[in-house]
Amino acid sequence: MSAIELLYGQRSGDTVGLNATTLDLSSRGEVSLPAVEIHYCLFELPMAHMLPRLPESLHPSIPAILGITVWRCSAGPLGPFSLAWIGLACRTGIKPRHFIHSAFCDNEEVGRWFKSRYGFPCQTALVHSLETYDRIHSRVELEGTPILDLETHRLQPLVGLGAMVKYSPPLNPARLENGVALVQMEATFEFMRVARGVPHAPTYAAAALGDDSLRPVYAVSGTFAVANIGLHPPRFSLSPRLPAEQGGAKKI
Amino acid sequence: MEFGLIYELSTPRPFTRETQKAVYENAIAQVVVAEQMGFSSVWCVEHHFLEEYSHSSCPEMFLTAVARETSKIRVGFGIATCVPSFHHPIRWAEKAAFLDILSGGRVEFGTGRSSTWNELGGFDSVVDDTKKTWDEYIRVIPKMWMNERFGYQGQYHTMPERNVLPKPWQKPHPPMWVAVTTNGTELDAADRGMGALILSISDVERNVPRIAAYRERIKHCNPVGAFVNDQIAIANWMYCHPDGALAKQRGEELVSTFGYMAGQTVEVSEAYPASNYTALGLLGTLRADPTAPGDQKPISSGLCFGNPATIIDTCKRWEAAGADQLVFMIQAREHLPQADILESLRLFGREVMPHFSQQRRPRAVNG
Repeated sequence: MSAIELLYGQRSGDTVGLNATTLDLSSRGEVSLPAVEIHYCLFELPMAHMLPRLPESLHPSIPAILGITVWRCSAGPLGPFSLAWIGLACRTGIKPRHFIHSAFCDNEEVGRWFKSRYGFPCQTALVHSLETYDRIHSRVELEGTPILDLETHRLQPLVGLGAMVKYSPPLNPARLENGVALVQMEATFEFMRVARGVPHAPTYAAAALGDDSLRPVYAVSGTFAVANIGLHPPRFSLSPRLPAEQGGAKKI
Repeated sequence: MEFGLIYELSTPRPFTRETQKAVYENAIAQVVVAEQMGFSSVWCVEHHFLEEYSHSSCPEMFLTAVARETSKIRVGFGIATCVPSFHHPIRWAEKAAFLDILSGGRVEFGTGRSSTWNELGGFDSVVDDTKKTWDEYIRVIPKMWMNERFGYQGQYHTMPERNVLPKPWQKPHPPMWVAVTTNGTELDAADRGMGALILSISDVERNVPRIAAYRERIKHCNPVGAFVNDQIAIANWMYCHPDGALAKQRGEELVSTFGYMAGQTVEVSEAYPASNYTALGLLGTLRADPTAPGDQKPISSGLCFGNPATIIDTCKRWEAAGADQLVFMIQAREHLPQADILESLRLFGREVMPHFSQQRRPRAVNG
């Protein structure tokens, strides 16, 4: 009888989160963000590019998928901000997650908050997102240079029960009491409006976006949603070395 | 109550030709034993690109091989994907009829539409249209079987009048089914006079309302074929062993293995939000709490793992709930040795089957 031998990431857990921030666990409350505009695009990429980047405790999704998320929040307790992050679709056990390798926020203080609460590796950058009649366009500019242009065209509204997007929770390396762990951001979404279209990334400066070997190749879907978001404090941590199904997941 | 088997043909890495062949050959050998023990059907899925989880891209070939090694067991498409980029409806009518002849009239024709991005994306399918294409296919395929010549102008395919050949052995045509994973699809089956092949593996009690709803709804159906197939088959797992604790442990290993393989695939709802894929598919039902990373979903009480007495009890509960057939998955990724699988089948046949009438409930003749 064979043990379960499935596909895992090939990156040594020892190399994950070397520069990770220490998580601030003092703030345990929920945070509500009203009417956030969410631009979320998925692309396939070669599995051979993904596996070496994924920690050994995570399973890849098959096919390999790169996810780009941009939030534009105009009001709420954190103040106005735009936040973008990029990650790889993966699995903790059998559950879908995105392992994040870069994040950008246009509000330095809010960026620090996402970093200390959820481990997002936030850099301060200009992050724009704009809905026009023909497209959603998001941009990240670092030190005056556009490093990401993300567009979704041919948008169709999703209505009724279909007016929703299943976002995979982001997973970030962060430093906890016992060392580096992967921490997920859990959120609930109350959708007001959802549309789906075809994504395109005319500018993708891979190195500046966190990993020179990862580039979007094949468009899967682009969505634009307006939703009230409830952000929950982190509940679980996962070892970058030991898979969840082997005891690597722990409650915080 | 009848019993059958359903195959995903999951395959362990590395994908050598020897491993692949062993998976197919072992499955065929299992069906031969199953027929000897009184199992009445074998079903085979159609999946593409699902590494480890299912290397069953050509179910008609597997079923043909099975049919030539057996004489009584019915051979079921579980399912034939009714999506234009995968198959033209003419091809399904031809393949099913061909197999029906080669098997001496043993085909059960299950239909469906796929639920993974792996497959729909891989074939560059129009994801939003899969329910619609399925509805068109299931209405024209029986006509291709029954009419000497047939032509139609549909939304997705159009064909001038042709004689689709061969015609099936069974008259007027093989029974038609639809795979049911999401709640509500059993009503789609009932409305169309089709059997429901329920693949969302769960507790008996959770299926009681949907079985009752199906039974009520099908009384007023408008059948897509020449007759109503008012049958409910429930996909399940089975491992039978005199040591009940060992059987349960091995069963949990099978389910866990299956879950991890399935978990790596990308469901449509994860990748491509669409109004026709709002509910969790089969894979999603395996994920207990979407926010907790490490927990295991408890094994459903409706699964047939245990000693014969335990399994008899479970099957009786399914029978009382209104299921006509239980179709078992018995292996995952060659996790259990072939000899143990065969012995489990033999034990089930010797000690469980005699407690159930193998008389097939007659199908309704028309709508």
